[in-house]
Amino acid sequence: MQSIEGIGCPEGIESGEASIKGKNNVHRMQRLASLVAVLAALVVVSACGGGGGSAGGGSAGDGGGGDLLQQVKESGVLRVSTDPAYPPQSFQTETGDFKGFDIDVAEEIAKRMGVEVEWQTPSWDVITAGNWNGRWDLSVGSMTPTPDRRKVLHFSPAYYYVPAAAAVHESNTDITDPATDLDGKTIGVCGACTYEAYLEGALDIPGEYEYVVENPQIRTYDTDSSAIQDLALGDGVRLDAVMSSLYTLEEARKSGTPIKVVGDPLFYEPLAAAIDKEAPADPQPLVEEVSSIINEMHQDGTLTKLSEKWYGIDLTKKQGA
Amino acid sequence: MVWALIFVALAVLFVAFQFDTAFMLQWLPFILAGVPLTILISVLGILLAIPLALLGALGRLSANPVFNGISGFYVSFVRGTPLIVQIFFIYLGLPQLAQYAPGPLQNLFILGTITSGVLALGINYGAYMAEIFRAGIQSVGHGQIEAAQALGMTRAQTMRRIVLPQAIRVIIPPTGNEFIAMIKDSSLVGIVGTQELFFRASKIGRQYFQNLETLVVAAMIYWALTSIFSYFQGRLERRLATGYVRERGGPHGH
Repeated sequence: MQSIEGIGCPEGIESGEASIKGKNNVHRMQRLASLVAVLAALVVVSACGGGGGSAGGGSAGDGGGGDLLQQVKESGVLRVSTDPAYPPQSFQTETGDFKGFDIDVAEEIAKRMGVEVEWQTPSWDVITAGNWNGRWDLSVGSMTPTPDRRKVLHFSPAYYYVPAAAAVHESNTDITDPATDLDGKTIGVCGACTYEAYLEGALDIPGEYEYVVENPQIRTYDTDSSAIQDLALGDGVRLDAVMSSLYTLEEARKSGTPIKVVGDPLFYEPLAAAIDKEAPADPQPLVEEVSSIINEMHQDGTLTKLSEKWYGIDLTKKQGA
Repeated sequence: MVWALIFVALAVLFVAFQFDTAFMLQWLPFILAGVPLTILISVLGILLAIPLALLGALGRLSANPVFNGISGFYVSFVRGTPLIVQIFFIYLGLPQLAQYAPGPLQNLFILGTITSGVLALGINYGAYMAEIFRAGIQSVGHGQIEAAQALGMTRAQTMRRIVLPQAIRVIIPPTGNEFIAMIKDSSLVGIVGTQELFFRASKIGRQYFQNLETLVVAAMIYWALTSIFSYFQGRLERRLATGYVRERGGPHGH
């Protein structure tokens, strides 16, 4: 062995040479201190909350007394989940800001409650599955109140209604009417969403609709845009059609994706805000507060204004299918 | 030279396929903004993995059947299950157990995305690195241990003063490699909704239906990150080897 310094581990070597008890204890203390530092760092990270776009403490859900509404008001922060891959409902700008119809609606709700919004971005199926464990307070994410979701989530009244439609590759010519031409075709949809339930004949939402697609070959994706991307590969390459919100499909077409919407909307989805039934603090007062704010926003025309801003038309009135 | 040709060929392909470089540049800052989180997760992950790996290695080498059994199970189970399953287990699975925990402890079961990710990465890499640590410890010659015992040191003292300081020389280079691998694996934490590098790239790609562009941007950033750390890793490795290289510049290391 040449030199001890060459090994590059001065600390370890030192303790190896120091046979005095006191010095050894000091060393052990240092090691303990560094362990504590690591743990402290972890705690800081967990306190900073999970993955929200904006900074800020996620303290509202931490046990404590009072119901959920009270906790939100005390902390001054309403933690809202959103899936920012759906323009014009929800998306992020270059600077990381959240924008869109859902975003504006949530911020208006928070404003009327006198609190700030903190965004969280869990994946869609995690939001719809309920049991949020107090990680966030509210979903304003264009969610359809299906019976399955009603089992785990409280819903506000619908804040708008979106037509669900089918699209095919733009080179396709034999699918023109979804009511007859989609039978037996391979259709892409997002997993655990209403379009999948519709194709399975298991949709159960307020409103009138008919199941017109027989024997579809359903392909599920993590999100609508992945399905649209696969459809764009070519007619019948991976998919024959995609079912999604009319506006998601139109938005894709506008950004240059070679798809086209066919026929009339298959059904209209009422879309509402949701709150976890199993929230650690009693969610009922928050549900009532959010519901009455949404009714207020219907009456004073705020929702109509926001709908016209993002969609160009008023989607906030119930439409017949 | 070969690399230069590859780059030229790729550049030609990019142009031929009408790569939207303006779009890539437009979103580069947004995707880059995920880098600090990617590095934070990886650094905390490796800091957690190191003590776990040391415990795991000591357990594997221990004659105590309980300690040996626990660490054997830890290494085998964690290495035998996918990292993504472990992340989901901690983020989505653990909270289901919170109801059985006494009140104040419940929050320990409900972890944020970043904490979940750091825990999963740390536990996962700790199991892999336990083998590295074990090899490092076993690389210390047996004569040294006998000599230490002859001097009257206890087993713990021998481990602390003689074996570990020398084992570290063997352990540090592969640990650096593990850190570099972890930078890449931290992308899995994006799947539970942490706004790190990969999450940002994939969201923007989906939103504008330009996955290829944003994924190339993400790949280039990961590559740059791992290249930078590999460079430092190489320097560290050379520095640690200095005491053991007999002929400067010669091919015969020890």
